Parts: sequence; C-alpha cells; structure tokens
Amino acid sequence: MSARGRSIAWSLARALLAGSLHAGAEARRAARARELRVAFEGLGPAFVKLGQLISVRPDVFGPELVFEMEKLQDSVAPLPVSAVREVIADDFGRPPEELFASFEDTPLASASIAQVHRATLAEEYRPVVGPSLPAGTPLAVKVVRPGSESLILADIAAARPFAERVGRMRRFERYNLPGLLDEFASTLCSECDLRREARVADRFAFDFRDDPLMIVPRVVWPRTGRRVLTTEFIEGWRLSELGRAAERGVNGRILAEHGATVFLRQVLELGRFHADLHPANLFVTPDSRICYLDFGITGTTSPEQRIAIAQVLAATVYGDADRALKYSAELGLVVPEHLQPRVRGEVGELMARTLSVPPRDVRGFATGFLRIMNDAQVEVPVGYGLLVKALVTVEGVARALYPEIDITEAAKPYATRLIARWMLHPARLAQRAPSAMRAAIRELAG
Amino acid sequence: MAGNEEFMRFMAAWALVHETADEGWKAAVERGGTQATGEMGTGPEAFVDGLSAMIAEEKERLKAELASGTVAAPGEEAGLKEVLEELRFEIAELRGRVEAMQSSLDALAARERG
Repeated sequence: MSARGRSIAWSLARALLAGSLHAGAEARRAARARELRVAFEGLGPAFVKLGQLISVRPDVFGPELVFEMEKLQDSVAPLPVSAVREVIADDFGRPPEELFASFEDTPLASASIAQVHRATLAEEYRPVVGPSLPAGTPLAVKVVRPGSESLILADIAAARPFAERVGRMRRFERYNLPGLLDEFASTLCSECDLRREARVADRFAFDFRDDPLMIVPRVVWPRTGRRVLTTEFIEGWRLSELGRAAERGVNGRILAEHGATVFLRQVLELGRFHADLHPANLFVTPDSRICYLDFGITGTTSPEQRIAIAQVLAATVYGDADRALKYSAELGLVVPEHLQPRVRGEVGELMARTLSVPPRDVRGFATGFLRIMNDAQVEVPVGYGLLVKALVTVEGVARALYPEIDITEAAKPYATRLIARWMLHPARLAQRAPSAMRAAIRELAG
Repeated sequence: MAGNEEFMRFMAAWALVHETADEGWKAAVERGGTQATGEMGTGPEAFVDGLSAMIAEEKERLKAELASGTVAAPGEEAGLKEVLEELRFEIAELRGRVEAMQSSLDALAARERG
C-alpha cells in the first residue's frame, strides 16, 4: 500500500473506531457518520467529492451517513489565475482577453473540481432558450482545475486496497465497495466534462421557460468546451445569506411554496429532476426568483414511475402505509411477503409519529423510512433513494426560505390533481370501462 | 327472480326514455330545418328547434370529417404547439453544440498555426 493509501486507511479506520465508542445503536451510527465526514474533509478534494456522491446514494448507505455527508463544504484554495488562463487558452486557442470583453482574475468560488470567474460578453449572443444576450452581459466562467481528474482518480486508486479489504468483511459485503469506487470514478469523470452539464442546464431553462419565478443561467456555447462552461451571471443571494434577501423585500413564503411545486413538477410532470440540490446550488434573485445552478447530478423518471411516485406521495401525505408500500413496489422497492406485516406496522407508526400532526417532519420520516428498509435488508432502488433524499433536501431548502412551511401541504393538491388526471385519462378509462360496467350491472342486478 | 324482473323493467324504462328523446330530437331537427332566417327568435320552442337543426348540421360535418380522417381531436392544437416548441429547442440545442465544436476546431487550428 502506498503512503497515501496508508494515510487514507488510517484516517478512515480511526473515524470508524471513534464513532463506535458511543453507547446505543442510534448514537453510534450518528457519531460514526460525523467522524467519517470529518475524516473525508481532512483527506482532501477527492474525498470531499466522494462524500458528496455518498450523500446522493441513500440506496446504498445508511440515512445517517447520507445526511451527514450533505454537510461537506466543497471549498478549496483557489488556483493561480495563470493556470486558469492556460486551460481557457488551451480549449479556445485564444487568451480570455480575446474571448470576453472583460475577465476577472479573482475567482468568485473555488471548489474541488472547478473554479468560477466573472467575465462579460464581447458580442451579442442568441442562447438556446430565450431572448438574445446583449454585448456586455455579465458572465460566469467555470473552469475545471487542471489535473483534478487525474488527482481524484489517483486517490480512488490509492483507496481501492482499503475498500477491497473492508469489502471482504461480512458486515460490509453487501455494499460492494470496490464496485462503488468504480462508479464514483465514472461519475466524477463525467462531471469533469462541462458540456454535459451545459446541455442539462439548457434543458432545465427550456422546461421552465414559462415560469416567472424560476431562472436557469443560459449557456454561451461558443465559449463552452470540455473544461470551460460559460453562462450568464445571475445576481442573487445564497440560501445562507437570506437575511439580506428578506431585508430587500424578497417574499420567502411564496418562494418556498413555489420551490416545492417546482420540484414536484420536475419529478411528476417533466421526468427530469435536479438531484444535487443543496444551499450552494440555489440562489434567490433580487426580483424574487429561484435560480438553479450546477446540473452535475440529475435524476429521471418514466411516465409509469411518475404515477407510482404520485401515488406513494399522496399515500404518504394522507398517512396510508398500505398504499404507500403497494405503489413503492411498482417503483422496485419490494418488501418480501414474510416481512410485510412488520414493515407495514413500522411505517404506519412512523407516519403517525412524524406526519400526522403539524409541524410535519418530512426529514424525520425519510430517515426513519430508509432506516426501516435498511434494518429489514430491503433493497432500495437507486432512483427511489435519490428521490427520497431530494424530497428531504427540498424541504430543507423550503424551510430555509420560510421556516413555517409544510411541504406536505404543497404536495397534497399536486399529487391529488395528477392522480385524478391519470384516472380520467381516456386510455385508462377505456381500459377500465368494461370492468366498471360489468360491476355496475352486477350491482344493479342485485 | 324478482330482482331480475326489476332489472329488466329498469332497462326497458331506460330504453324507452332514449327512444322518446330520439323521436323528439328528430322532430325538432326537422322543424328547425324548415325555419326561415330570424324565426329562431320568435319563442323558446322555435329557438330549441333551430338550435337542434344547427347541432344536427354540425354533427353531419363532424361525421364527414371523421370519415375523411381530417378531424382534429380536442387539445390537438395545443399538442402541436408543444411539439413545435420542442423541435425548435432541439434545433437550437444542436446549433449550440455546433458552436462549441466550431470553437474547439478554431482552437486546434490556432495551435497548428502557432
């Protein structure tokens, strides 16, 4: 094992051990998750990224670890501007001064994979969605850190022997740790190609083109390449700076309610959703709009899944455990028959405890639900886990905007409308009419 | 058996209502069809007759459209608008990708030159 490999193994083993010293299973799980998060922060950018990816995989990891890893701050020392200029010149054959009307050397933000600089548009540009951007439009230029991909891959390679050793231990067998490392490596490589993110950003801008409360920065394609992504720059406040937004007349309640509806629309109508929502990826603009950023991780839902999700959502907000589990099975979360009475009882009890009386605790419900499935060793499909996690994040974001919001209230009419529309769909009516008619005639015939 | 008889009676009543309504409808259409211009405003019955005749004409038109296959289903226009917008987006998206490729080509050409 290399020196770096030994250092990784030592940090992780120490975190696992320190976390195990607490009394009580629940406290132990929470402490272990906290210690691992601190260890990941100390191990540098590759592990910060790895931790962020763990935070979107509740299908694999326990809910405590998933929600703890969400707290990782992806902020690193900025690169010297000469290195940034070199990447830009390499991608476009010209220095930033020739590509933009102006380019700021001081970065706006610096993270493990990329850093962002301000610039201005040199000439008018017609983006894929919406009206033209005039010359002088403020821009955000995201540049991939040179060598970040190979550094991360080297760290993953160094961590592999440790993952293989731990993966052979009985209690970690089901996680397939080496397989997960491969998956992380491939996700990270795709995140390093910014053209993919640019395409997703345009798609979101198109999907929400008619929504006056939503904004997605539009891509300037002639200044976008594999390692450079140029979009319009949107002024605004991060969720952590909302105090300032409220002082300037931003209506948190309307934005919170709309934010929840926007997410439901992504999942239940459009079939594409932002799966990496966290406070750094959301802005509130001075004209009271929600701005989505960073489209590195997205999820998709098929039409059949959308109906099943609406059914699960409606069953959950109306406190119907039976129905929630029935439609969860259509989404691939299948509880074996012999476990059904136990799981149904536990989910029903959890619903009563967390969702029956306001203020409803969606996060508590989600954590408890995933814990029940984890304890019963019921496999949670990737998409299902991602969705549960995203819903919890949406609640967190909505609460940051307006602490009194109850997102189940926002979800109720949406899910009900969708189910009603589905039930009245001509194809479904045609499919159900003969059996309904037979039932009616049987009823009339006594 | 009593249940069956009641059911048959109910269905017979239902069929009778339809038959009567159909005869009434046909008579109204016939009367409305012979009305002169402006006659519809002379009273409620004349109005119903005139309206029935107009609906019958519309029904014949719909029948012809259905037979020729040119009928537009409800919501079809909105659907068409959506498809057009989606196509426009796809073309614009392609343009964006071509622009990015052009930039990469320019970079390669500049590197070759210099």
